[in-house]
Amino acid sequence: MRKVIVAALLAAGVAVLTTAAWGSTKAPKRASSGSNAGNALVKCGKTRTIGLMAPITGPAASLGQPQVHWANFFKNQYNRTHKTKIKFVPEDTMLGSANGTAEAVKGAQALGSNPAVLGVVGPAGSNEVKATTGALKGAGVGFVSGSATNTQITLDGTRTGFFFRTVPPDSSQSKSVANYMVNTLKVKRVYIIDDQEAYSTGLADEVQALLKAKGVDVSRDGVSQQQSDFSALINKIPRNTQLVYLPWQLPPKGKAFGQQMKTLGRGGIKLMGSDGLFDPAFSGLGNNVYDSFFPLNPADPRVAAFKKNHSGSELFGAPTYVATQVVAGAIDRACKDGTATRAEVRRQIKKTNILAKTSLLGLPLKFDRHGDMVKKPFGIYKSQKGVFVRVA
Amino acid sequence: MCGPPSGGPHSFVRSCPPVNWSLFFGELVSGLTLGSIYALIALGYTMVYGILKLLNFAHGDVYMIGAFVAFFVLQWLGGPISTSVTGWVAIAIMFVVAMLACGGLGVAIERFAYRPLRNAPRIAPLISALGVSIFLQNSALLLWGPQFRDYGTFTLIGVKTYSIGSNFFISNVQILTISASIGLMIVLALLVSRTRAGKAMRATSFDREAAEMMGISVDRVISFTFFVGSALAAAAGVMFGIVFGQIFTLMGFTAGLKGFTAAVVGGIGSIPGAMLGGFLIGLTEAFSTGYLPGGSTYANLYVFALLIAIFLIRPTGLLGSPVIRKV
Repeated sequence: MRKVIVAALLAAGVAVLTTAAWGSTKAPKRASSGSNAGNALVKCGKTRTIGLMAPITGPAASLGQPQVHWANFFKNQYNRTHKTKIKFVPEDTMLGSANGTAEAVKGAQALGSNPAVLGVVGPAGSNEVKATTGALKGAGVGFVSGSATNTQITLDGTRTGFFFRTVPPDSSQSKSVANYMVNTLKVKRVYIIDDQEAYSTGLADEVQALLKAKGVDVSRDGVSQQQSDFSALINKIPRNTQLVYLPWQLPPKGKAFGQQMKTLGRGGIKLMGSDGLFDPAFSGLGNNVYDSFFPLNPADPRVAAFKKNHSGSELFGAPTYVATQVVAGAIDRACKDGTATRAEVRRQIKKTNILAKTSLLGLPLKFDRHGDMVKKPFGIYKSQKGVFVRVA
Repeated sequence: MCGPPSGGPHSFVRSCPPVNWSLFFGELVSGLTLGSIYALIALGYTMVYGILKLLNFAHGDVYMIGAFVAFFVLQWLGGPISTSVTGWVAIAIMFVVAMLACGGLGVAIERFAYRPLRNAPRIAPLISALGVSIFLQNSALLLWGPQFRDYGTFTLIGVKTYSIGSNFFISNVQILTISASIGLMIVLALLVSRTRAGKAMRATSFDREAAEMMGISVDRVISFTFFVGSALAAAAGVMFGIVFGQIFTLMGFTAGLKGFTAAVVGGIGSIPGAMLGGFLIGLTEAFSTGYLPGGSTYANLYVFALLIAIFLIRPTGLLGSPVIRKV
């Protein structure tokens, strides 16, 4: 009996070892970490792979879905007009969920270890960009965001040469916002409420500093993105406040805040959101709602083509179209000889030069040494009958 | 130190800043509104604990399901834009359907997840409760998605704000929430103290075995308790949707935690304690947001600091009584 047990154990051990050995030869090669990964040569083939990181589900899905739609819109156009094709490996970052940035980091690790991925579009949020830098940079992959606007993420040097964005930074947004508040709306008392995320606090800090420098009386507060009851916070807002500024990322929360303002008798105070609240949920609150948004050429025929199949309110995702265009163009140039490395793709991203006439943004797209757009204006919008209309 | 202005130019007594009554009354109304919701959730926790000595962690998710059931009823009625009945009737129907549906859900949870474990070690039903909570939360996420749903209260009933003087403001939805919550608590108090079912609940809570020997169907009493507790949680979910506008599938976790805290602060097992605890937690949250440094950011810190402080002074909660065990 004992011999039988020993023999069975030996047989099981051999089977396990054989399976493991077979598995190691059959499994796709994983990209090694560190700078070596960026220099690993990849056969480009007919179909090139791009990672796509966005909040596809979760509280910020209303921002992530338009990004996915615009990225797919570019992919379909590209695949129709090119001999080579592109495909996405999507990763859901679940921005704003209770897990924080954990899902984004998991997604970045998965993309980094997938040797077919030559470049990444996304992630959406500035906090996510910070959190995923280690994984993406470690794997040598360049990433281009169509919505992360925190000023410092390009200037702090942590991800220079790896991270690029097709939206202007908050420093540009804050100037446009502060100038409009002071010069056009002529407000003297402003209440700023950040949502405690890197994007929001950074933008709030900048707007607050600019307004104070212009002599505006500014009060500041913060509230968690997980919260739905804003009534206690709204009670703190002095009744003579002229404008409440919300640099938030979740339009449903912005809507709930606006509704509760009305419920508590403060519906007369102007509300101004940032690019994260550029959504019908927020513009539908009434005519005293303002917002700031990325540059975009609404006359571009691609905008009309997109609107045919999607809601016109999905313009938040338009810069992700441009981000996909940047990554796909860089891969094309890096793959001219049939092979490419992630490092070559990064270098090509840096050399991007999209002319104004072919740019969806309505202006030429080139990156400076930090990874920011060289030209970076921000527009100001006002809600009219529930729809945002550009006013500055 | 501050006092009334002394008038002298060299006085060391500072004059007090004027009291901001608008802020005070605003936070009071917000705290009572929030407290009403917490109190209703806390009642479910405390009733189940009183009878089974079980912490029903799935209760917060029943609250979430209630909010969603009411939302789908509203959609079925054509709302919020074109409801086939008036807004207030629609709200009444939403309350009734959500409470009945969640009452049934509570009975089902007890029947299938807790009753088979009634004689198991106490850790087993506790783990089962956590499992039911995760199951409900993820099922809701799978079925209804992660997006926020809007009750459209403004369109549905037209939110109006009333004022008394220049400092006291209260909206019709806040009046509805506070009064409906107090009404439900009075009905519950009458149910427990004046009816045969209530007497059976009290007997079962006091001594389950003795109650069974006296001919009380303990299983039916426990099912009834789950029905009532879950119906109250559903009412709280509907109130949340009406007052705060939006519901989402993860809303049950935080609310459940606050409701549980309220039940513990009040003295778990005590129905008046759960009501008191709910209002106390709601008021603490609102006033700490309004008055304490970083209050809007750290309101939960102050709420749970209160919990710890109360436990240090009264380990059984405000209205809880110490358990006497025969040794």
